Amino acid sequence: MIAIKPRSTFPLAIAAIAFLFLGLFLLYPVFTIFNAGFLDPAGKFTLANYVNILSRSFYRASLGNSLEIGALATLATTALGVPLAFCLARLPVPGKALILVLAALPLVLPSFVGAYALVLMFGRAGIVTRFLRDLGIPFGSIYGTPGLVAVYTLTLYPYVVLPTLAAFKAVDVSIEEAGQNLGASRWRVFHTVILPVVMPSVLSGALLVFMETLENFGVPFVLAEDKPILAVEAYKLFVGEVSANPSSAGVLALVLVLCTTTALLLQRHYLARRRFATGARAAPPELRTPRPWRILATLYSWGVVLAALVPFFGVLVISCLEYRGPVLQGNFSLGNFAELMHRSTRPLENTVMLATAAAIGAALLGVPIGYVLTRFRSGIAHVLDVVAMMPFAVAGTVLGIGLVISYNSGWVVLTGGPIIMVIAYMVRKLPFNVRASAAILHQLDPSLEEASINLGVSPARTFFKLTVPLMLGGILGGMVLTWVTVASELSSTVVLYSGPWATMTVVMFEALEGTGAGIAAAAAAVLILATAVPLLLVYRLLRRYELAVS
Amino acid sequence: MTAVSIERVEKRFGAVRAVAGVTLAVRDGEFFTLLGPSGCGKTTLLRTVAGFADLDGGEIRFGERRIDTLPPHRRNTGMVFQNYAIFPNLTVAGNVAYGLKARSIPATDIAGRVAAALKLVHLDGYHERWPHQLSGGQLQRVAIARALVIEPEVLLLDEPLSNLDAKLRVEMRGEIRELQQKLGITALYVTHDQEEALAISDRIAVMRAGALEQVGPPAEIYARPATPFVAEFMGTTNLLAGTVAEAKGGRVRIAVGVIAVEAQAQGHVKGARVMASLRPETLRLLLPGETPPSGWARLEATVARVELLGALTRVELRASEGLPLKLAMLDLPPDAVAPGKTVALAYDPARVAVFATA
Repeated sequence: MIAIKPRSTFPLAIAAIAFLFLGLFLLYPVFTIFNAGFLDPAGKFTLANYVNILSRSFYRASLGNSLEIGALATLATTALGVPLAFCLARLPVPGKALILVLAALPLVLPSFVGAYALVLMFGRAGIVTRFLRDLGIPFGSIYGTPGLVAVYTLTLYPYVVLPTLAAFKAVDVSIEEAGQNLGASRWRVFHTVILPVVMPSVLSGALLVFMETLENFGVPFVLAEDKPILAVEAYKLFVGEVSANPSSAGVLALVLVLCTTTALLLQRHYLARRRFATGARAAPPELRTPRPWRILATLYSWGVVLAALVPFFGVLVISCLEYRGPVLQGNFSLGNFAELMHRSTRPLENTVMLATAAAIGAALLGVPIGYVLTRFRSGIAHVLDVVAMMPFAVAGTVLGIGLVISYNSGWVVLTGGPIIMVIAYMVRKLPFNVRASAAILHQLDPSLEEASINLGVSPARTFFKLTVPLMLGGILGGMVLTWVTVASELSSTVVLYSGPWATMTVVMFEALEGTGAGIAAAAAAVLILATAVPLLLVYRLLRRYELAVS
Repeated sequence: MTAVSIERVEKRFGAVRAVAGVTLAVRDGEFFTLLGPSGCGKTTLLRTVAGFADLDGGEIRFGERRIDTLPPHRRNTGMVFQNYAIFPNLTVAGNVAYGLKARSIPATDIAGRVAAALKLVHLDGYHERWPHQLSGGQLQRVAIARALVIEPEVLLLDEPLSNLDAKLRVEMRGEIRELQQKLGITALYVTHDQEEALAISDRIAVMRAGALEQVGPPAEIYARPATPFVAEFMGTTNLLAGTVAEAKGGRVRIAVGVIAVEAQAQGHVKGARVMASLRPETLRLLLPGETPPSGWARLEATVARVELLGALTRVELRASEGLPLKLAMLDLPPDAVAPGKTVALAYDPARVAVFATA
């Protein structure tokens, strides 16, 4: 006899919706752009595009530069982040709670604004550069590799600090005591026991940094100047492509996605091994150290965190100074903001509207997926887990180009309107939303849902009636983070926007190309405020996301 | 009111048979307990009845109606969870009303039924309290009221007392039993605590490795265990391995080394290898000049260790060849036993359980 299994159709329905959405708006566009790289103008299969692009030293250099800058930035963030995590985990540094708030900020502040701030201060016409030049002190160029590595290090170091800090805190103090009891010195215990235990977390954070540098578009656009960078060149090829088929952009897109996918797979591999760092009942106690060490640790911790925020603070100050054309005057004025708003308030409205729509959409899609992943252990859940993480590996520019060539003709035309932008944002923010809601659900006892079902409420209604209300605080926190990161999104926006739908990031992007430093600074300041203010307002909701962000 | 019949129920997790073809009939209005060590499949079996574990084979019926094909929210069972699973976002009244609202009961009726249910568990006046304001015992009462108010066909309880302290546990189990009797509801109860199972149940099923070891009323399970596993699981016992030396008229003599143990048991032939179980309290220490009732068997042993536990005294003894024996007696005179002293013991052969072994 065949037993009829009373399985719920709810997880199947969620999985079907998720696969449909990601199939249409991630897999198909990415496939289309890869496919474009293998077609000649007549639409026949060819490898000529690959030969053509990869034989040109300019494009080979773009791959080399991207990997080199990524590697240097990864090393620098690790060198900066691991000691900081140790100080915060084990040394008596005053104001730790505040440091942790400030340390998470660079992750959500728009990184290309940081890059632009660096140009405003240390660029050829920068305030600091001119000041030093007036004093007769020569100042090297920050364009190219040094500037890129500096900006990446200062904006991405939290990716290393947050997981490493958690790992240091998860080391059971008795391991340390056992080491010392067996006759090892403190330093020996540190490098033979503690460091190996936290290493997977460090590496997993470092690989995230590497991946971010590869797909970042805004920072190299501002700072790279004539140095070719993969994500930027793919965009330029796409914009400049004469034929209808973006074959050259397709080649670089495939190369870029291969790099990010490799980094993502390595990162997941290390993440899977993280279990071995847990098991402590309580965080290990702070170490008692001599006063000079304490002072050094305090200076270091505060120094790193504040240095990372200096560019953003600098932009806020500069935006309130008067510009005449490109020339900075010394006096305070709100003229830049007046001019920015006088031109049009539409971009600000667009940003608010699109980010709100994307935050709602990403939560509507991501929370049910997170629910299925945590509550239903089945083959479908595993496939869904992998698919829902795939947007991580696709750079914003690549996704944008893919969406444009997939939906600019034929059955469904979406290009030129706001919908395709919202879709792109939803795809890009889906992994975060899925992981964040899974993290909240891990803290909710499944027997609550079973109790509800047992009392006669169907699984689907239980999810909406009980689970969602219980998760509400966390969901709202996740939506704010999504909102904030979408508001400062540039890489897919710059490909997808059309005239009336320009956002604040686009205004900044265009202002960078020379119309007015004052307007760009004002736009940057508005962006910083638009991201930092909501974050600080809901900080209490966000505390549990310290790790979900990474 | 409903009888539950579980027929050849099978549940696997990968290669592990968590429930291995169990067949059980729980009678209408019966308090039935699934008892066993952790990992024996008792909770899984309960969850197959609730519908939270899909069957890999077999059938479950409430009365004549097959229910294992129904989704869990249509089975009309009331479940009390180990950690209570009280919805933290609802008040006490909100929790109790939850299942009634799901059944679209009119609001006017809900208020009355919630009040009655809370009164039943002695929580009148707690309607508007929040779960975080309640103690463990009170949460437990809310969980029971919430499960009972929907008038379920079967009440399912998954180790409901394991999170309470010892004193409250004893008090609550009495109340649960009283409620069940008052309402006449069929109850399926899971626990690993044999004392709890003995105190509360009409019948007990002892489980081991996914299968039933023995089913019966508490007195029978305790006094006439079907297997050595049940004998040991239900309480401290002296398990003695030996050979049948003589079998005659329902009485057997078992040779355990050089000593002989007598028992009343059928179906054992001379020369068979068996195991005998003597509970410590069935052994009586004979005071000087005391004679045992007629038909009782006697033994001699040396006192090795004495433990005074208040009313009860536990004595560890060594019979000939150092065979260890445990004895427990109430009101034992303090000077009757001292380490090294040789004492006379007696027991009723009718209270010795005998198992055939391979």
